[in-house]
Amino acid sequence: MSDEDIARVLKAAGPREHAPAEVERAVREHLRGEWREIVAERQGRRRRWTGFALAASVAVAAVSAWLLAAQPQGAAEPVATMAVALDDVRVRGSWWDGWEVATAGRTLKAGESIETGANGRAALSLPGIASARLDHDTRVRLASADRILIDRGALYVDAGLESPADSRLVVETPAGAVRHVGTQYEVRVDGRAVRLRVREGRVEWRSPSGAVERGDAGEQLTIAADGAVSRAGAARYGETWDWIASTTPAIDIEGRPLAEFLSWAGRELGREVAYETPGLAADAARIVVHGSVAGLTPAEALDAVLATTSVRGRLDKERILITGGQLGNGTD
Amino acid sequence: MSEEKQLIQRMLGGDEQAFEAFFNAYFPRVYRFALPRLNGDVEAAREVVQAALAKAMRRIGDFRGESALFTWICQICRREAVDYIRSRRRHVKHLVLIDDRPELRFAIEAIEAPEEYDLVRQYGRAEVGRLVRVVLDRLPSNYGDALEWKYMEGSSVEEIGERLGIGTIAAQSLLARARIAFREALEQVFGAEAADIAASLGA
Repeated sequence: MSDEDIARVLKAAGPREHAPAEVERAVREHLRGEWREIVAERQGRRRRWTGFALAASVAVAAVSAWLLAAQPQGAAEPVATMAVALDDVRVRGSWWDGWEVATAGRTLKAGESIETGANGRAALSLPGIASARLDHDTRVRLASADRILIDRGALYVDAGLESPADSRLVVETPAGAVRHVGTQYEVRVDGRAVRLRVREGRVEWRSPSGAVERGDAGEQLTIAADGAVSRAGAARYGETWDWIASTTPAIDIEGRPLAEFLSWAGRELGREVAYETPGLAADAARIVVHGSVAGLTPAEALDAVLATTSVRGRLDKERILITGGQLGNGTD
Repeated sequence: MSEEKQLIQRMLGGDEQAFEAFFNAYFPRVYRFALPRLNGDVEAAREVVQAALAKAMRRIGDFRGESALFTWICQICRREAVDYIRSRRRHVKHLVLIDDRPELRFAIEAIEAPEEYDLVRQYGRAEVGRLVRVVLDRLPSNYGDALEWKYMEGSSVEEIGERLGIGTIAAQSLLARARIAFREALEQVFGAEAADIAASLGA
């Protein structure tokens, strides 16, 4: 076959197709994360085997103890619960498993992936974290109880008021990782670009090169595909946060102080709770509420609860303002 | 030890350059393998290829080298594509590509002996053209790239050497080997001379 023959065949066959650049970038970054995990797992195993060889030469008892310690930590252990699953929500254990329809109440194990479809949304309950919520068209993987990998879509994390000041939860994206300091934030992944909106508290963004950026409440960090970080202001409430309300896990208000309910509503709505007078705040802490707000959005629940008390409240820009009236003895 | 096995060992040892080399060598070809099997759905191909390569990386320590690494990954990819189609039920019509037909699949994967059929006459120009590209993908990735750059893009040997990060003499040698491999693979798969294949493609 001459050079001319080869050229004729190749030209006639036409060029080979190439994946779109954004697809290639996204797959490369995803696989890089997988590869790092594989290497880390193998190195961990190697260290354990090295330990085994040394221990075996010392004493059988020591070997036994080591074997117990060498069991994989947290593998396939329950790490979260599906608190809310709306419409199209699926779970799979590993790459070679098929997707299963997920429903609320399902226990989620380390290594499992959760995916929401075009109409799906979900909320997960993790230890030490109030909730992690998935918008539609989102896929995450629970690497462990304190590590979530987001491949695409949006994840909202509410660390809760009771969470440790320096939580260990890390959200990894194809472009870097997010660690929070007692906060509420949203991570949205689009290919290799990431948008990070901080609603409360503070987050720390760490790029693969180790560069660190911090974002405070009311800030939005946009991380471009090339790693460049830009900042802008971001409202803590409004339409762009509304999707979170649809996945708010049910709250049991029965027997709880009104102040606690108002605090919950404020966090869900991205607003501070402000009392017109100190006396109102003290009374709200004393009042116990009764009944149920199951099935209501936070805004609907706020209206429903306040309607059963003599307290009046209204959304006032960044606040839920509690005003006037004598507080009753409770709600029914 | 083969180059493929060396690459695997380096990659499993945590060598970032080896990971990049693995990705650059296999992603484009596996993507092209998956895309027509998923009806040209780019998003589906992305998902399937990502899953296939991830699974291949996890199991790569088990790869024994009895087939080419690319062939082994394609087998994983083929199963991923079937699972994807089953789970999503989006591609109701199951696609049977001509290179998935048993006799052709054997010829492409094993490349051992020519079959007694006249592919050029049996299939249309578009399918034959696609099959030429499949053959190109079955060669070592730098062979396919070098041939494409040389004969389709008109790159010089010096430029090919630069793009591959090797010298001009090494590029010349690589091109010679690539031409031989391409000719042999074409003849084995098509059972025809390059001139006949070119003629059937209207060249």
